[in-house]
Amino acid sequence: VYPLVQIGPLNLSSSGIMLLLGLFTAQWVLARVARNRGGKELEKQADTCFFAWLLGAVVGARLWYGLLNWDIYGAAPGLFLALQIGGLAWPGALLGGTLAAYLLMRRRGYPLLPLADSAALALPVGQAIASVGLLLSGEAFGVPTTLPWGVELFGATRHPTQLYYALAALLTLAVLVWLARRQPAAGTLAAAYLALSGLALLLVEALRADSLLLPGGIRAAQVFGLALLLLALWWARRGTAQRGG
Amino acid sequence: MSALTVRQWNMLLLAVLVAGSLFIGFTRATPQQSAGAATSASTAAAPTMAADPAPLPNHPAPEFTLTALDGSSVALSELEGQVVLVNVWATWCPPCRAEMPAIQAAYEQHREEGFVVLAVNAGEDSATVAEFMHAYNLTFPALLDPQNRVSAAYAVNVMPSSFFIDRQGYVRSVYRGPLSRSVLDGVVTQLLAEDG
Repeated sequence: VYPLVQIGPLNLSSSGIMLLLGLFTAQWVLARVARNRGGKELEKQADTCFFAWLLGAVVGARLWYGLLNWDIYGAAPGLFLALQIGGLAWPGALLGGTLAAYLLMRRRGYPLLPLADSAALALPVGQAIASVGLLLSGEAFGVPTTLPWGVELFGATRHPTQLYYALAALLTLAVLVWLARRQPAAGTLAAAYLALSGLALLLVEALRADSLLLPGGIRAAQVFGLALLLLALWWARRGTAQRGG
Repeated sequence: MSALTVRQWNMLLLAVLVAGSLFIGFTRATPQQSAGAATSASTAAAPTMAADPAPLPNHPAPEFTLTALDGSSVALSELEGQVVLVNVWATWCPPCRAEMPAIQAAYEQHREEGFVVLAVNAGEDSATVAEFMHAYNLTFPALLDPQNRVSAAYAVNVMPSSFFIDRQGYVRSVYRGPLSRSVLDGVVTQLLAEDG
């Protein structure tokens, strides 16, 4: 475990560094993708949306983490505002970020689907990088396993769930790039992203040893993943229904 | 994708909903699993004897004796047989403050099983520390280290720093920077599961 990296006077957790690196990369990829797909105009809009997304993501990620750690956060509500790169959860980030970006797009009259498609191509890149950071700091660790690729963590050989998440993000990206080449209808990439990342959450989260839990031991991220998957399928079904299929 | 009819889509949606829910139910966290315990652990790292003063994993923890807030004197060696978290902190350090509630929760949860927290305050006076402990409702012992002896012995160059010491007095995990709750629970549960 390499939880901390020292850069001069600064001490940053490795997961924090990788999270920031992931965000920067995602922002860069988003700008490039938006430019390729919709020119300078879309690039500018995507950039504005990114900051709205980031703001919503931070709020959502901390709320999700805090509400599911209510025994601690309820007793010390100041933690909701604690300035640290930690105590964050991805489902909350995706939810809060998407909501914030959606509100901004509605308000400014930005084209929803082209921007969502661009974001779908950028998000997995950031997720993959951030997931590797979690492995370095030992967070989001898996349950013990005897499989040969298990990693040594906290005295046991465990599933490298962080790498599974990174791999899932890269696979998602590969599928999306392949889809994008075929010039599908607007919104297809975003729907595919929701379906694939939902499936990844549903499957990989099952191997995590430190999932945030709902009553009864239900893993919150799995419920979120299934909801994403269903939403994407429902979206695709609507497309069929509108064509009168 | 558009090859499916609306009826077929409905079937697919229903099938995914049912299969997904079953999967979630099947893979839900059982109490032992969510605690992150692994029984094979005690064999994994048999600490080797070494008299190295630096807080290296699998080396004996550097000994110290400090005064607690209540005036009693606490020596690390007296706590042999218990799992000890030595947390070096200060009230002026935001990440230190942020991780305290999680440490308190782990302390309450695992105290009965033999988990002790020693919150070694770096260089502040007893009034400041007492006020902080009270304001945050922290019940584990806070030790005063006015001359930063523990910081020196444990090579603390980052605050907070956390050192997990097993029942035999060996440093097993060194964590520099804020602890996340899951890492804290994972390490403590692991060390408690081992024999003394």
